[in-house]
Amino acid sequence: MKNEKDILKWFNNELSPKEIEDLKQTENLETLDKIAHYASQMQAPQVDVQKALEEFKTRKLNKKETKVKSLNLSTFYKVAAVLVVMLTSSYFLFFNTVKSFETEIAQTETLLLPDNSEVILNAQSKLTYNKKNWKNKRDLNLDGEAFFKVSKGQKFSVITDAGVVHVLGTQFNVKERDNYFEVHCYEGLVSVTFNNETIKLPPGKTFRVINNSVEINDDFSANSPSWMQKESSFAKVPLVQVIDELQRQYDIKISTENVDTTQLFTGTFTHSDKNIALQSVTIPLKLSYKIDGKKVVFYNYEGQ
Amino acid sequence: MDSNKESLCEEAYFNTFYKDHFQSANNFAYYKCGDQTSALDLVQDAFSKIWENCSSIDFTKAKTYLFTTVNNLFLNTVKHQKVVMNYAKAAPYIDTNNESPEYILEEEEFKKKLQNAIASLSDIQREVFLMNRIDGKKYREIAEILDISQKAVEKRMSGALKILREQIENI
Repeated sequence: MKNEKDILKWFNNELSPKEIEDLKQTENLETLDKIAHYASQMQAPQVDVQKALEEFKTRKLNKKETKVKSLNLSTFYKVAAVLVVMLTSSYFLFFNTVKSFETEIAQTETLLLPDNSEVILNAQSKLTYNKKNWKNKRDLNLDGEAFFKVSKGQKFSVITDAGVVHVLGTQFNVKERDNYFEVHCYEGLVSVTFNNETIKLPPGKTFRVINNSVEINDDFSANSPSWMQKESSFAKVPLVQVIDELQRQYDIKISTENVDTTQLFTGTFTHSDKNIALQSVTIPLKLSYKIDGKKVVFYNYEGQ
Repeated sequence: MDSNKESLCEEAYFNTFYKDHFQSANNFAYYKCGDQTSALDLVQDAFSKIWENCSSIDFTKAKTYLFTTVNNLFLNTVKHQKVVMNYAKAAPYIDTNNESPEYILEEEEFKKKLQNAIASLSDIQREVFLMNRIDGKKYREIAEILDISQKAVEKRMSGALKILREQIENI
């Protein structure tokens, strides 16, 4: 078949009448002409589309309904069940973000906060903070004594029952016991808020409140609190506070006989040996003690 | 594209799609199987598939999907039958001026030969030839519908014409 391309074009209605005439000159295309003509007169059965669509709808709609039922209802319940489980579990996960640490008698604990700030908890102390809000608000609640080494960053606040300590990045020690609140600043600048009064504390200074009387001392030159070297140091501290600290570091109960517990004590006791510790407290105050199991009695040996 | 996908699931939109393509899909099915009832069933089944999968069918491909589905359903179910096309009732002869009985007889004979020749074409040749002749579709459209290249359509068409011509001229 010559002129195949032109014939194809002809059947695709791409040739003008003149081109068709030209094509017919080159070849006898009578048969093809007839094929083109009569084949176009053929008919596929005509369908009533509207009727077919109505028929289609009757059978399709049934199908679709069953489909909707099985699919939507079961998946709806599945999804709902999963959602309920997820919501309840996430409620407990996300709303229970308070982290809490607690130490027992004679125990210290070193903690790393999310921003790499370091906290060393002294004996019988409790520290809590909100893990979720930590990035925005570095707030800690402290009950007891702890040493803080704060990374630079947002305001860092230690909230105690006695007062609030704010810093930006520094090292300091906070001690909050019954009727006793003490902040040591080792590095940087610490701002202490007590009874709505704010005091800026430079390094080497101590802010102390005993029985609601405030005093600021500059009496230490250590780089870290003495309790981190397993010692407790006191500078003009009432004996009753020293006794409390002894009880915290050694699992003992101390009672006194004819002893003035308000007298001031200056000195240090170790955390590693009970007898040496008791001696280093009692001897300078001209006291004596006797041990009965976990009970210790301080008494004034001059008086006896 | 997303809005189109969704609209195929919408009944109104689907109905339009159905009405636009039902006849040509039915023709296509008929060219394949040559049986009116089977053709109708094939096309209805194909539309069912589209309706059920409306969300996963790309709207621009829906037409191709329809014809491909008809083709696949045909291959799966229907046995080959001799496809004999019928002529429209009011069909003028090629030479409208010549009304001599001889001429009419000759032309009627030709039409019979053509029917037989078309029935002897292979499925793929016949569907291309008839889509071009009866539905007046361009090769490009046919290529798109069948999801093949235009060259392939032209090859099938060319083959169909060759066979038809040989058969008619040799008998």
